[in-house]
Amino acid sequence: MRTRIPLLVCLVSGIIMFAQYFSSHPIAKTVYNGILEWWQIIFAFTMFVGVAAFIRNSLKNMRRKGEAPYRVAALVGLTLMPLLALIGGTKFGSPFLWAFDNMIAPMQSTVFSLLAFFVVSASFRGFRARTIPATILLLTALIVLIGRIPIAELISESFPKLTFWIQSYPSMAARRAILIGIGLGSMTTALRVILGIERTYLRGE
Amino acid sequence: MTTLRTRWILFAGLAVVVIASYLITVHFRTTASPATQAAFDYLETLPESSVVVFSFDHEASSLPEIKPISLAMLRHAFQKNLKIVGLSLFAEGTAIGYSLLRKTAGEYGKVYGEDYIFLGFKPQYISAILGMGESIRRVFPQDYLGNVTDTFSIMRDVEDYNDIEMVISIADGDRTVQWIEYAGPRYNQKVMAGLTAAMITSYDPYLSSRQLYAVVGGLRGAAEYETLLGKRGGGNRGMLAQSSAHIYVIALVLIGNIIYFRNRKRRGRG
Repeated sequence: MRTRIPLLVCLVSGIIMFAQYFSSHPIAKTVYNGILEWWQIIFAFTMFVGVAAFIRNSLKNMRRKGEAPYRVAALVGLTLMPLLALIGGTKFGSPFLWAFDNMIAPMQSTVFSLLAFFVVSASFRGFRARTIPATILLLTALIVLIGRIPIAELISESFPKLTFWIQSYPSMAARRAILIGIGLGSMTTALRVILGIERTYLRGE
Repeated sequence: MTTLRTRWILFAGLAVVVIASYLITVHFRTTASPATQAAFDYLETLPESSVVVFSFDHEASSLPEIKPISLAMLRHAFQKNLKIVGLSLFAEGTAIGYSLLRKTAGEYGKVYGEDYIFLGFKPQYISAILGMGESIRRVFPQDYLGNVTDTFSIMRDVEDYNDIEMVISIADGDRTVQWIEYAGPRYNQKVMAGLTAAMITSYDPYLSSRQLYAVVGGLRGAAEYETLLGKRGGGNRGMLAQSSAHIYVIALVLIGNIIYFRNRKRRGRG
């Protein structure tokens, strides 16, 4: 029973959502709109679950050696932003927007910019023409790197064209193959879930 | 120890190159790519008062790249007297979207609620995108500031995607894909994007199949758009830094390979 009911709910929901796509009947529209609203409500509640889990996890790990300052900072951040929004609102000039613009945005940009340093280090130490495929990859990367900057047009007008060709043909062919694979895989998985063949979401039962 | 020292030298080199580039002013000639040109031409030819949606679907981390794209496209839209409905399907994009909209609207003397509105954030992006195809006001009964959406004149004639000319998704990830896949086929909604450079190749197949109308990609795309618009901004300012960083990386790759082949030759002799 514990398996059959969820499987039945899944089958019925899947068939309803599939069928309503092809119908413009008012009942189908009402059901569709209702499901969309419920979907958002359920998702909003999952955020509360996420926040609760984060708080619990942070409090639990606070006792670990050296972790307390980071956990406290995370919890202060988690509490401070909603508090600022509740007290001062989210309008222009509010403490919430000030904290976002002057604390969150610069900190996140800083962390993200570290990637550039890793790329520099990796390009010097790892990007070697050891084999023929590696050499092809290396040359392609160099052409694209040059082709994406304005100086390329000063060197030769062929660089941007060559970059465009690489992106439009070999790179795109690989991308398309991946996308088609993902699409077919998604469809197959969806069908397997709806028909009850795929049951891993029921903890493998 | 040597590895650590080499790494520090490499890092310091990049820092010097980028900082020095921002201290020098150099104007580059940035020829617009077909994708940027298509985005510009579309907004340029839209009739006045057409409604476009700007969806700020990104995090704060990509702001240095995303901000120049957003500003250039928003300025163009306001310059053409288009009506803008702003929203976000990424929580962090909400505050950024609101700030950018307010800033550019101020530059052109636009009035909130008449010329533009910011609807704020909705969780569960797929249901939000699909729901907007049925009723935008139902998905966003209130705007970002908590006012009832219906009370604004801009929303009086906007019911669903039939009243929206274009959705412009400013993204640093795959959120634009959801606009393409859910608003596109079911509601025939045209979508274009402003993307970080790292994401451009992921969207090339959609662009090629015209599922994605146009793309303004990365800092380079922003610079191209600014050039077309005739207003220099963050994109053009960042071109020297980006060019210098690219050349620095190319130089490092070449030096790394020269060292590798020299060492291999030595080992071969030994």
